[in-house]
Amino acid sequence: MQQTDSIRIAPRDPNVVMRLARLGSFHQSRLSFMRVLLRRLKAENWQFERGVFDIDARGVGRAVYTAHGPQRSYSLIAFANDLPPEKRSDRVIATEWDATFTLFDGIPTPSDLDRLSQNVPRQEAGRITETELSLSRANRSVRLWDYVVDCLARGQQPDQARIDDVGYLMRTTAVYGSGKFGAADRETTADRDEFQAPFQIEMLSVFLTRAVVMDLVEHMAALRAPETAVPLAPKLRRRFGIGNSTGLGMAPFLLNHPALLNNWIAAREEALARIRALPEATAEAAQSFCDFAKRARLHALSWQSEHPIQIAKLHDLRADMEALIAHLTEADLTRDTPWNRLWLWGETALAVEGQELLASLLMEPYGDLVDGLSCCMAADEGATWRIDGAMQVSDLRAITQDVYGWALEIDWAERDATARVWYTSEAKLEPRLGERFDEPIEPYEQPLCPGRDAARMFADLADFPDGPVAGFLLKHPEHRHVVRRAQIAARLPYAEIRDNTIDASVLPIDMLRAKLSFFGACHFDPRSDRWLRINMFQHAPFPGELAGGNADDWTYPYLEGRA
Amino acid sequence: MTWSLNEIEGLSRKAARGAGLSWGLAEEAGKATRWLCAAGLPGAEALAGLLRQNDGAEYETLCPLEDTGTWAAKGGALCPLISGAAICDHAKDIAEGKPLELGETSFPLLLLPYVAAAAQENETTLKLEWPGVTVTFGAETCIKQTIAGALDLDCTKAVRIALTSAEDIPPLAPITRGDIDPEIAQVLSAFAHRTYAPDTAQSRLAGAGAGLSDND
Repeated sequence: MQQTDSIRIAPRDPNVVMRLARLGSFHQSRLSFMRVLLRRLKAENWQFERGVFDIDARGVGRAVYTAHGPQRSYSLIAFANDLPPEKRSDRVIATEWDATFTLFDGIPTPSDLDRLSQNVPRQEAGRITETELSLSRANRSVRLWDYVVDCLARGQQPDQARIDDVGYLMRTTAVYGSGKFGAADRETTADRDEFQAPFQIEMLSVFLTRAVVMDLVEHMAALRAPETAVPLAPKLRRRFGIGNSTGLGMAPFLLNHPALLNNWIAAREEALARIRALPEATAEAAQSFCDFAKRARLHALSWQSEHPIQIAKLHDLRADMEALIAHLTEADLTRDTPWNRLWLWGETALAVEGQELLASLLMEPYGDLVDGLSCCMAADEGATWRIDGAMQVSDLRAITQDVYGWALEIDWAERDATARVWYTSEAKLEPRLGERFDEPIEPYEQPLCPGRDAARMFADLADFPDGPVAGFLLKHPEHRHVVRRAQIAARLPYAEIRDNTIDASVLPIDMLRAKLSFFGACHFDPRSDRWLRINMFQHAPFPGELAGGNADDWTYPYLEGRA
Repeated sequence: MTWSLNEIEGLSRKAARGAGLSWGLAEEAGKATRWLCAAGLPGAEALAGLLRQNDGAEYETLCPLEDTGTWAAKGGALCPLISGAAICDHAKDIAEGKPLELGETSFPLLLLPYVAAAAQENETTLKLEWPGVTVTFGAETCIKQTIAGALDLDCTKAVRIALTSAEDIPPLAPITRGDIDPEIAQVLSAFAHRTYAPDTAQSRLAGAGAGLSDND
């Protein structure tokens, strides 16, 4: 057998990874927060219990589902509502929903439930407290809800094709965590093992929400026709995820948490580099990868979107998957750094969609190399947040050129380069994106355009005498936020999106998809350039199925004859 | 009603921005107010008082001038948010034994979080003093008040920050929620409101992306 030396593969260049088009082509992976959560729930043998389920024939009432971990319990409290159709909207500016939820720290008493029943259904207009960890709401899929209730009430199973067209019975329209509307700050729970990885509270909330919604649809059918109603067949039941509508509110998050963004991307890039550096692969790992590739192909085929941008991207992705599978039939996947050779082939043979799916797929056979990285994905943001005022102006100039070189090449006098403005509307504080030259919104601009701001700072740095940055900042307080960003990005290479976030052609959905892919979302379905729908936990086991089933291998459809 | 510390930070950041501070300074003002509330100190009150007092004042009249040995503001009293940020920026000098003297300073309580950060960043113990108050920042924060009410003054004549060794005063007990007087919250919310764009039919329709139906 040919002897191959281990090679060193550097993580990818941030100037390649941190472009919006690439971030907007990310896919879920072993490092996604949903999968991290379910692996933990299974490994620690969490137990689940339906404590309260008190919902009437109109669909109004409350339910409590409790998850018991090794040290603590958490309860999802749900309030179901009979919502008139004209009030149903996914927008933040909505004021009523089909169902509202909070994740409670422990097991609620009846008085907790009464207090929360006055507040949780009002969402942003209510108040929650430090015993609540999240606040969320969901609307029914009009296309699917009544149909499924009807079928079940008549004693029939719904048609699989109609289920697959939508993929969920309810979609959440916001899941608020950390300190929002009075909830507990993340800092108060961050030292708990179960919340070490990012967004575990939110993922647990959504995982339990899916269980509540599926029980609710069966309950409504049973109340309508107690004589004939049947529950969903388990195989069909699994085909329902929880939908989610996500808008611009999520986009600023990535810009406002540079150290956290870095740690997410760095973990993923480290995983990819580790696998590419493997000198050889076992036959089992090679076979496992080929199976995942075939399953990912099926996944790409079942992914639907009506949006022209995503339709084109899906076309690329499906072609990429065909090319990958054709290549795999002749590629040697066991010897001579097989994954690096495959990766380099992909860099030239695949579109960006396919390349990023390849990155996710390469992680699948290597849980031992990848899964542990999830503990590096949280960030101590305080550690890099303070400005180093002793840095020399010349050094700040140099790091600006390094991190924001791409922005210094943009002609910021061109109208298209600054066509957009990120702002917050006074209506429910909804984040919005407006037209700088058509709307009177510039005075309200949020600092979400690091490229332009870095270029402005660089212009003032050019004439500034060398010395500590402290002096520059005292003279130029308007650059303070971007000095902070530059210093963070100089230490953390993936902290900054290296693209113009206010260009006329910017697609906010790219930012949304990057974040949602780390959640573990699938089937990104843009509904415009600035909001999209996704599906979460589709095909995942339900809480009661975790102990006996596979907690991690559910994202891609199974191949014929295997499960 | 109690507030989460994240809410306090967000409200304070927006209020500071609404009052005219740059985004970078406003970010630090948010963290500073949060720090004070988490220490059980009236940070929100001090911030509201400061923003009201300085509403409309130019940065140049509030910032420290570097050219004299003592930091002083052209317009009378130093803004503690601007001076606080500058103290952090000069933390290395202070940690290397170069004390910092400030002249007349508004709401000196607001300086505490910045000096705390300066001490922490440089892993050293710093002392912040003004007439009636001595605060030591090391592994713990210790406050000694010798004149009643001096901690919450609207203004003090002189402030000194210097390297020191730890003192034996009971440390502050950290808390995880903030209690803000509704009137104070109202003041901060009014400043924060200045950062929100008025809602218009056009922005409601297009600003968040109308696109395909959201009720299907």
